[in-house]
Amino acid sequence: MSLYDTIIDKIKQVQEYDKEGEPVTSIAASSTLAAEITLLSSILVAVIMLRYFSNALMIIAVLLVASIAIFAMPLMPRFKREQNDSLNSMIFYMILALGIITTLFYWGSLNV
Amino acid sequence: MNPLIALMVIIPITCALLVNLFHTKDKTVKILSIVVALFLPIIPLFTSYGLHYFGGYMTLAQSPVLSQWVPASITNSALNIFHMGIMYSFGSAQQIFIVALGIIAFLAILTSLSETKKASGVYAFLMFMGVASMSAVILTDDIFNFYVFFEIIAIAQVGIVIASKVKGNLEAALKYMIIGGIASPLLLLGIALLLGVTGNVNITDIVYSIKTGLVNPQSPVLLMACALIIFGWSYAAGLPPFHTIKSEIYSRALPHGAALLQAFSVFTLAAVGIVILRIFSYLAFSKVIIIALSLAAMILSITMALMQTDFKRIIGYLAVGELGYIGLGLGIGTSMSITAGLFQAVNEAIITAFLFIGFGTVLYLTKESDIRKLGGMMVHTPKIALLVLLAGLAMAGVPPLNAFQSKLMLIQSSLNAGIPELGIIMILLSIVTFMTFMKAFYAIYMRSKPKGLKISNSKIPKATIFSLVVFLIICIMLGLFPQIVTNYLQPLATSLI
Repeated sequence: MSLYDTIIDKIKQVQEYDKEGEPVTSIAASSTLAAEITLLSSILVAVIMLRYFSNALMIIAVLLVASIAIFAMPLMPRFKREQNDSLNSMIFYMILALGIITTLFYWGSLNV
Repeated sequence: MNPLIALMVIIPITCALLVNLFHTKDKTVKILSIVVALFLPIIPLFTSYGLHYFGGYMTLAQSPVLSQWVPASITNSALNIFHMGIMYSFGSAQQIFIVALGIIAFLAILTSLSETKKASGVYAFLMFMGVASMSAVILTDDIFNFYVFFEIIAIAQVGIVIASKVKGNLEAALKYMIIGGIASPLLLLGIALLLGVTGNVNITDIVYSIKTGLVNPQSPVLLMACALIIFGWSYAAGLPPFHTIKSEIYSRALPHGAALLQAFSVFTLAAVGIVILRIFSYLAFSKVIIIALSLAAMILSITMALMQTDFKRIIGYLAVGELGYIGLGLGIGTSMSITAGLFQAVNEAIITAFLFIGFGTVLYLTKESDIRKLGGMMVHTPKIALLVLLAGLAMAGVPPLNAFQSKLMLIQSSLNAGIPELGIIMILLSIVTFMTFMKAFYAIYMRSKPKGLKISNSKIPKATIFSLVVFLIICIMLGLFPQIVTNYLQPLATSLI
């Protein structure tokens, strides 16, 4: 199965077109592809900034993002599913973010 | 002492109470709302810069009459220059913010009154209360007073969503309240820790205590206060992980309400960001966290906007994504980047209001916001389509419109600061923002009209068109003459370094 077919299948799953029996429009497919490329390219450029802390950390992060890009694509349908309007998801990510910010702050203020 | 400074808060609060009192009298509500809303951007223009002390409590150093009754042990200490009451500080940056807020509020209120058959006193009350609180947040130098008005803004935002009568509004408002019920106390806890360490709630005095070594700047309690205040900042502005709920409440409000809601978020982001920079700029890591949160907001929100099919949700996500540019300006931390970030805040508040009200005309005529069910609107409203297109171009940063200038300044400042990666991401996401906008614009205006779509024959109110034209004029003016705003923001930006 080609990458394009995989992405179309994921869009169908996320948008639940299967239930309605509607085809995936070209706008939806191109939007998802564009979002996917934007997400990966932005994250790749962003992790290069880790060079300000450590070159080794940057190389590891770039390789990690590149591996995710190769083996876990498409990411956007997963991201969309995670960033839904469910209160449970919102509270989960809020608590997670609070934990990350406070932990990083303690570590970062001592090391940066 | 300048009494006009306090009037910027008192007048909208008084008006809010009056329109609520006369809520059954349609004409009175309309006239009162429009007259007072018209004064909102005018008052700051005629107010001279300075400080306003509530209760007249100046510092001991400034009031010799009072200090002669105080023991020398106090007058010879730092207490001599500490502020004893709530203080409002009005400078050139505050002036620009309150004028921009006033213009958006006036046009949102005008559009709201013209698009509804019967004026709602409660809705107008919430709008004025939000504006008054936002003005107080911009003006106040007292961090607890800041929090109180911050909470009133949150309540007004929930109220505006509840009063909007849009499908799913009650659930969205309830979720926002529950999430606020968790995030706001954490912000308050951060403020309480700051009070515990410094013994003060006046921001100028807190900064003095930290800079002069009266308190240990590396105290773990201060670090925790900074982390909690940054977490509260992300809730207030809608940065991740709050970008989902923020975009949802924008999409569950009426377009004129959403125009005002996003302005509250933008100015709160700028106001809290300034407070964080003033107090915690000595912690290098605070700027790293600000940049990380801003980048996350930009990447997640703009890619999510691409995946949406509801145009209100698309603008909501784009609005949250654009907040990241402001955060980046503050996080880079140079005079130029902070000026650019604050300039971007003014631009974004205006452009997003422009887009919400512009796309709101589609909702007004069709009662439909799903772009899959829309089309052919160019035939019905060609002039509005042109205005909306210009708003989209402005948001993407196309010259000669205003966001071009602020985004160019931001990119230049990232290059000057030696962080070209940020410039690359900003350019990339501006292109994607434009693409996302064009996706919605094409679906609504340029595609042929779907068979099932019903378009009302009623005309777009003149007040709505007037609002759009005013927004466009501001976008062009600030695009051609950015120094109108940047000259006013520069002194504050320089003082923050």
